[in-house]
Amino acid sequence: MSSIKRKNFKLGLDLFIKIIDIRFENMRSGYDLPLEKSPDTKFLLILVTLMVFLAVLSLSGSLALHDMSERWSSGLENKVTIEIPIETKDGHLLSQDTVKRETERLQIKLENHPFVKSAEILEDKDMGKLLDPWIGQDLLFSEVPLPGLIALEIKENAPTTLDDFRIDLAEMSSYANLEDHQEWLSELIRFAGILQSLSLIISVIIIGTTITAIIAAVRARMAIHKKEIELLHLIGAPDIYIAKQFRRHMSIIAFKGAILGTFLGLVSVFILMIFSQLIDSPLIPSLEISFISFLMILAFPLFFPAITSVTAYQTVLRSLKDML
Amino acid sequence: MIKFENVSFNYENGPDILKNINFTLAPGSYHFLSGPSGSGKTSLMSLLYLGHRPTSGRITMLSQDTKHMTREDFFSLRQKIGVVFQNYRLLNHLTAFDNVALPLRIQNKPEREIKSNVSELLDWVGLGDAQNSLPPTLSGGQQQRIAIARAVITRPKLLLADEPTGNLDSEMGYRLMRLFEQLNKMGTTTVIATHNQDIMERYKHSKLLLDNGSIYSNSKKDLLIKTIRDVY
Repeated sequence: MSSIKRKNFKLGLDLFIKIIDIRFENMRSGYDLPLEKSPDTKFLLILVTLMVFLAVLSLSGSLALHDMSERWSSGLENKVTIEIPIETKDGHLLSQDTVKRETERLQIKLENHPFVKSAEILEDKDMGKLLDPWIGQDLLFSEVPLPGLIALEIKENAPTTLDDFRIDLAEMSSYANLEDHQEWLSELIRFAGILQSLSLIISVIIIGTTITAIIAAVRARMAIHKKEIELLHLIGAPDIYIAKQFRRHMSIIAFKGAILGTFLGLVSVFILMIFSQLIDSPLIPSLEISFISFLMILAFPLFFPAITSVTAYQTVLRSLKDML
Repeated sequence: MIKFENVSFNYENGPDILKNINFTLAPGSYHFLSGPSGSGKTSLMSLLYLGHRPTSGRITMLSQDTKHMTREDFFSLRQKIGVVFQNYRLLNHLTAFDNVALPLRIQNKPEREIKSNVSELLDWVGLGDAQNSLPPTLSGGQQQRIAIARAVITRPKLLLADEPTGNLDSEMGYRLMRLFEQLNKMGTTTVIATHNQDIMERYKHSKLLLDNGSIYSNSKKDLLIKTIRDVY
């Protein structure tokens, strides 16, 4: 049994080597057209590098914003805040002690409510952190009247709805206001969405510019090597044979440019990520890219040569139609 | 079979270079095409290798009516035609080897076969040592031999050569003529455009005479027509 397996393995290996051998035998370096000597090859390489670099930055921005929106949404999911304001609905100011007492009383009631998983009072220190970006660190809590805040976490399979809970809350405290964050969160997410769309539009413009540059470069090369192309046609080279040479040449340039551009782009993104984490401010969120987003960026060295390949091939085929 | 029926040709509405040409070349036949400078030899050759379409008339190439051929048909037909151009038309960035190998690569032949066939042919035309040389570094005669090797490497069904011995010494010229003879014996229809009277007299093949855009064969009837036209 094992000898048969060994024999089959050897046969398979021989066949594989033969296929590889034939494949390499039929491969050769260089082109029938002097494409490598085209004067704008370096320029095209730099252009593709820059385009890919910009595309990496743009896509990273878009993906980071997407990931950030997700974090905001999931971070506030099942979370609401209850406020005991310093001023009643009819305009009377409450004392700090009243606010504090009312907050503590409500918190005890809330902890026993079937809708609530946990209820925590935000201490002065926590509120100070929240207000820090606007009014600085020198806040004297005794001098500034602050509302009472309770952070609520809602049970995942709560038996009542948020609207039912609002009614219960009004019965528990006549002062309490419920803030479910949806209003400002949706505004924030909408703003992030606009920025994200802008990044995507920039990415599309970058891809469009790259395609236009490839078309122009292919046409320029075809004009330069018109006589050689005519000769290939006269010897019997079909359009596909000529188009393949352009496709290979342009794809190699695009691949080199895409590798370089992606590398430079990722280095820049990582530097930005490190800087964003060093800035300790709740107003400026840290730039983070998920692993899947990172993989998407890593696909650029394949994506750009692929669109270059298709563009170059189709451009040559269309241009050759006018030649006999 | 190659057949020209009432074929006329001009460049971009200029005067007719070829006027109402009619002739038939049987498969495997051998012809010399001669005529004074400006008589239209190169234009006729260009119609034969499908470099241009006729202004009017019908051309049948290797039994295919060129009027109804698709673009792809043109390319596959051209692969059956070997051409030695008057100015050689070599690719200067390719070595002698790669220039000769070009038609085989276009036909997608395996690299192993290309290596052995091209090396053998280059040895035969006396360029075995110049395989890796670029055309601009070679003499006119050497470039001409590369052009001839490229034309015959695929054993074409139709061989067209425009002054193929112009830059060669007589010994190499006759050697290459023997190569054309051998190919012709293997079934290749051959048309050689030449001014060389020695070669035309040495090899007793049909002669096509182009004069002022009209063609005459070496039949007595045609020669009589030409004499009458010349007189009047």
